[in-house]
Amino acid sequence: MLRYQEDNELHRDFHGCTNLSIDYISKHYGVEALKMILRKTGHDVYRSIREKLQKGDASELIEHLNWFFYREQGKYTLKVDENEIIFEVHECPAVRHMKKLGLPISEHFCLQTSEVNAGMCEGTPWKSEVKLTGEGKCIQIFRKECAE
Amino acid sequence: MIPSDHFVRFYNEVFKFLDEKKGLQDYYLEISKLQEFHCLELFRKKGLRGMYEYWDHIRIEENCDMTLNLTDEYMELIMNHCPSLSKVTDNDAGPCEKYCEHCPGWVVPLIEKAGYVVEYNLVDRKIPKCSIRIYPASSGKKSVVKMEPI
Repeated sequence: MLRYQEDNELHRDFHGCTNLSIDYISKHYGVEALKMILRKTGHDVYRSIREKLQKGDASELIEHLNWFFYREQGKYTLKVDENEIIFEVHECPAVRHMKKLGLPISEHFCLQTSEVNAGMCEGTPWKSEVKLTGEGKCIQIFRKECAE
Repeated sequence: MIPSDHFVRFYNEVFKFLDEKKGLQDYYLEISKLQEFHCLELFRKKGLRGMYEYWDHIRIEENCDMTLNLTDEYMELIMNHCPSLSKVTDNDAGPCEKYCEHCPGWVVPLIEKAGYVVEYNLVDRKIPKCSIRIYPASSGKKSVVKMEPI
């Protein structure tokens, strides 16, 4: 069950505000400060996902990825195994909307994915990795580190 | 991707960081510049009617419980229940104390640039209500941001 499950109107222009914030923080305070804010967002805002991951339960993370990308009409495939989740984004809704607006996309735009995911996994047996495979495309991997 | 539904919770974390750095005001001006892209031309071209149209669109897209009144003298927005502050308070990360200030922070410079002035009542930082009245600058009024019960 999701901690936050909006299902009403979408305001996609917020992706433009995320882009502005990413650009602004990285330019004025540095990329490390930006990463810190994004990681804290993942850690604190998504506490419910993180606490479940700590207990070995990835259900809310899977539901989160699936619901919000479905809701924003992203193109993706989701493959779930016991110790690995592979979420392949074929068309990112945030990048698509930025292009629709015609606004320049921050070079650090995709840190919102890698750092928030890392924040969700902090202190849990899960580790995240993001491989950028093209504009608006990536592979997000969550892997559970198993005890030897 | 931070879902557009969750942007305000990220925004809230940005505000916490910038508040510590005493950098909120400069950031509001940057937001205001971005918002110029979305609505300055509309406000200049159609005036109070354009503002009514913009916030009516926002009312739907951002799921606001909002009342809009357009008169010959002013455009009034009464936020009965702000979805933005509501999301920030329904948030495991907890709200930034100054969260509400970002709205007048971008609205006032933009409205003034369009040739109007704003009376902005934030009411209370913990209550998701506020009100805005926008007048032409020719009315002789000055922009003001206050926090008064309604």
